[in-house]
Amino acid sequence: MIQFFGVSRRFPTGQSALDGINLEIARGEFCFITGASGAGKTTLLKLIFREDVPSAGQILVNGRNVSLIPRSKIPFLRRTIGVVFQDFRLIERKTIFENVAFLPRILGLDHGRQKRVAFEALRRVGLSHRMASFPSQLSGGEKQRVAIARALINEPEILIADEPTGNLDQELSQEIVRLFLDIHLRGTTVLFATHDRVLIESVGHRVLTLAQGRLIDDRPSRRSPAPHSPPPPSDPMPSIAGTDSGESA
Amino acid sequence: MNALQAFSYFLREAAVGLARSLRVSLLAIFTIAVSLFLSGMVLLVSKNLSRTVHEWRAEARFAVYLAPEFDAAARAALRPAIEMGRWTEGLEEITPEVARIRFERAFPSLAELVADRGEGALPFSFEARLKTVPASEMEAFTTWVEDLRSRPGVVMVDADQDWISQVETLLALIRGLGIALAAILLGASVFTIASVVRLTSFLYREEIAVMRLVGATEFYIRGPFYFEGILQGLLGGLLAVGALGGVHVLIAPRVASSLVAGALAESFLSPTELAALVLFGAIAGWTGAVVSLSRESLETPG
Repeated sequence: MIQFFGVSRRFPTGQSALDGINLEIARGEFCFITGASGAGKTTLLKLIFREDVPSAGQILVNGRNVSLIPRSKIPFLRRTIGVVFQDFRLIERKTIFENVAFLPRILGLDHGRQKRVAFEALRRVGLSHRMASFPSQLSGGEKQRVAIARALINEPEILIADEPTGNLDQELSQEIVRLFLDIHLRGTTVLFATHDRVLIESVGHRVLTLAQGRLIDDRPSRRSPAPHSPPPPSDPMPSIAGTDSGESA
Repeated sequence: MNALQAFSYFLREAAVGLARSLRVSLLAIFTIAVSLFLSGMVLLVSKNLSRTVHEWRAEARFAVYLAPEFDAAARAALRPAIEMGRWTEGLEEITPEVARIRFERAFPSLAELVADRGEGALPFSFEARLKTVPASEMEAFTTWVEDLRSRPGVVMVDADQDWISQVETLLALIRGLGIALAAILLGASVFTIASVVRLTSFLYREEIAVMRLVGATEFYIRGPFYFEGILQGLLGGLLAVGALGGVHVLIAPRVASSLVAGALAESFLSPTELAALVLFGAIAGWTGAVVSLSRESLETPG
């Protein structure tokens, strides 16, 4: 569960990115965040995974006040949150496998297990055959799917996507959204920031609308609640979440 | 991730980092190699000069030359004053005859000069081996020598200590200047390495942002950069040791014929000293990386 209590973010210049945000996102919910450029979507997402800290108010993620997490413990929070960006943020000099298997690697999994979990994450996004390729050899849609696979590798409780379809055409955008819906069906909380109203209307999930840093609308989902069921037994995802969360890494 | 996995990862990433900014890395390695080479040379010269001075000190003599009219009774009266000095041992009386034989042996071509002037050509003297005079006793030693010089019938007091002390002062000066020069050069090396590591971290800033995003700890993010600094230092140290070895090989054949060559290359640095130089390079490299990364250079861009 994600809770915002009177959260504001003001920059040293005096500009306000967020102003008095109160909201609650339930575990397993799919939630769009929309608004014009500069409305505060990215800032709101950054606050959740402690890329930024609020100037006022409190943010609880699964009951933990993220502002109070010591700097040294932030990596362990981030291992429970998958993040996908518009610009993919893949490491160009590393292969797709190395990009996706980065977290298992720093968690100390042996090479065989790294390969298994990376393969499975890439299989879920339909790119298991591109493990040896480099990002420069992929299309925009494929890069975004790799970024999603990387975000999923540790089976995060929360998946945050900041304009993940911003660089993609309509067809690829729909494909990416279907992937997120599939991930959501497995019980993952999904926060999807976009300004694409067509995309939002086509899905029908809850929509939070921001304008000039304020939450101006909170439209509930028009869909029936997701079953939040675990993955079917025939489609298991090899887990690294059960391993040492890497407090030593 | 266990220590071995971390070590292997850091090493590989550090090597990639070195290769990625090869020219500036080579500059850093060269700078540290030059400073360690000069430090090694100072150590080598200092070591060889110290050994030479030590040998001279072992052979240092103390001699009191007497006027010809100084008779046996006067000599007997003077002897206790010389023996009183606790810095000499093995006091012996050198007669003019013994002195003449020694002179003729040392300077055969000048033997006639002494022979022509008869028995009184060379003075009677007392001679002793001079022990090391500690710095704390130097003043007492000088007072004692001056006292002997002022005694009637004493023509000259020759204490090798005088010039050995001067050589030692010169040696200390060389050492001090060498250490100061090495420190300045090492400081420059640390600065160069810090700049190179900072540049590499800048080249990697987007990757670092991604690493942070997926939950990599600072240990994991900074490790490769520390290793890069250490690698540069180690390579610089090895280069310096190789250059020192080369200099030694070049000079060694001339040791017997040249005083300068002897002072430089009679003995080479021990394996421990060479290892210490390389280690010092690694520490300087690591320090450069730490200095570079301590200024929030790895903060997420944007």
